[in-house]
Amino acid sequence: MRLIKTKPPNPLKQSASIKGVPYSESGVDVTLIRWMLSLTPAERLRVLHQTIRSILRLKGGVSNT
Amino acid sequence: MASPTPDFYSLLETLSKYQVDFIIVGGVCGVLHGAPVTTFDLDIVHSRTQENLVRLLSALRELDAYFRGRQDQRLKPKQDHLSSPGHQLLMTRFGPLDLLGTIGTGWSYEDLLEHSDEIKIGKMRLRVLSLEKLIEVKEELGSEKDKAILPILRQTLLEKQKRRGKKK
Repeated sequence: MRLIKTKPPNPLKQSASIKGVPYSESGVDVTLIRWMLSLTPAERLRVLHQTIRSILRLKGGVSNT
Repeated sequence: MASPTPDFYSLLETLSKYQVDFIIVGGVCGVLHGAPVTTFDLDIVHSRTQENLVRLLSALRELDAYFRGRQDQRLKPKQDHLSSPGHQLLMTRFGPLDLLGTIGTGWSYEDLLEHSDEIKIGKMRLRVLSLEKLIEVKEELGSEKDKAILPILRQTLLEKQKRRGKKK
């Protein structure tokens, strides 16, 4: 499976460079949403897959293959 | 035996190969709409027509599906299970798969069809529940788990509407 090269924005860097906090009133990080919306559905599915693999890897449940 | 790492692409590919009629709901649906959430299972609402259940059972055989959470036995799903409006929680060779006869206050595949969108992933044409309906169903359910994800889904919908130039 191809790796997504697009990286999520760094909210800390954004808040330092852009005035105002990049969170919605309910505390949701809108930078992550905007990043996900910039991807195609297939890329979003790959992001989810990579996220799961990285979490499981941290838990020691999956090898880095 | 360790549970397999979820591979939603391969799960969807197998269901598509057997031409199963289904709608993707739950967390994967949210992700496909652009919500930054994580989930470890694929939730689908399947058509419970006789023909579709036969196709679904064939796909489940290829997926080595069995009911999860039963320690010592690998009970395989049968047509009777799949024709029920209830939820069948399965483990497959590509990870957890939840087959939902109905969701929310009793929404079936046929009810949800008009509230679904078609998306293309690779060669697959898949139906996903609309983000608006996903939010509505989760609001109906009102469980703590559903409430937790609602702010992200609502904000994602708002951002999508902004992108489309709509104001709510």
